[in-house]
Amino acid sequence: MGIRGLAKPILGTIDEPQGMEEQGQVLTSRDDSSLVVDNLGDQAGGQNATVTCFYFDFAARSEQSPVHMMGSILKQLVCGQEEIPEEISRAYQDQKNVIGGRGPQLSSITKMLQTTSCKKRTLICIDALDECLVGHRVRILDSLNQILKQSSGTRVFMTGRSHILPEIRRRLAGRITTISISPKTDDIITYLHARLVEDTTPDAMDGALEADILKKIPEDVSEM
Amino acid sequence: METLTKFHKKPRFYSSLRNSRHRLTPSSTIYNTLSSKEQKMSQSFSNNIGSFNTTNLNFTVTDDRPHILAWLSPLDPKFRHQDIQDRRVENVGEWLLQTAEFRSWYAGREGGESDKAVLFCHGDPGVGKTYIRYH
Repeated sequence: MGIRGLAKPILGTIDEPQGMEEQGQVLTSRDDSSLVVDNLGDQAGGQNATVTCFYFDFAARSEQSPVHMMGSILKQLVCGQEEIPEEISRAYQDQKNVIGGRGPQLSSITKMLQTTSCKKRTLICIDALDECLVGHRVRILDSLNQILKQSSGTRVFMTGRSHILPEIRRRLAGRITTISISPKTDDIITYLHARLVEDTTPDAMDGALEADILKKIPEDVSEM
Repeated sequence: METLTKFHKKPRFYSSLRNSRHRLTPSSTIYNTLSSKEQKMSQSFSNNIGSFNTTNLNFTVTDDRPHILAWLSPLDPKFRHQDIQDRRVENVGEWLLQTAEFRSWYAGREGGESDKAVLFCHGDPGVGKTYIRYH
């Protein structure tokens, strides 16, 4: 059984990716996202820029609606500011008087994001866009497109499986550049070393087994 | 020192809230109010680091701020980022940051016709992107 077979019970199947949530993974887009968020965050600190992020999760797909998701990006932007922008507190006050406090609409969140993201360099990182419902994704991409039209300094970093690439191209025509993610052998070996150090049953491990793991797994991966 | 200890206990409290599976439904209001407060508190905390021992912490917030933030969205990805960050192995994936695509996306060409504001990193479905894949 290769790494693919071993991985199945831990990672779940393609159709049920929520299995992945609970276990450590090797080189996922998610790790790249978090790496990028941290790296951008470090750089942004000295640059008067704000980094925002959102992680889509198949298991939470119904809660992660377009308005909540884009609202979360706006919330992160606003958190970085000492004062809540007038436009936002006014919108809040207006909605407070409607049916006992109505939630914001996506169109108004988009408008507020357009204004807020223009004031400061803004980076938006969105992970696992393929784990979001198709109907939600269309509206999110359109909202992002609207924001980018207005706010030329804003950068969007996204990850997801390849099959959503045509859809993203269609929605964000002309604004998109892509990178194909493929883990490197060095990365795999570094990762295996780190996980072996954390082995909770070290008595079951000997030098020969460890050497075998470090040899076979990268080999299996390169055959895939 | 007592204040410091108290302060350090708070994140544990918030993280137990976060771990509740039903965080988005019944306890959402409490959760959001707390997390907004926490953000405000940690801001005040870092702003006042120099004067910390004089217990000069300023916790006064405008009453509406936490409500407005909670109104904008009940979701808070900050904790999730922390989880993922903690699991990440150092130096793995750094190559991505060195690619020409990443660098030019980050630098940007503001307002230019050919400005690519969106960088999409993609991998094949299944084992490929999610686990380990190599060309």
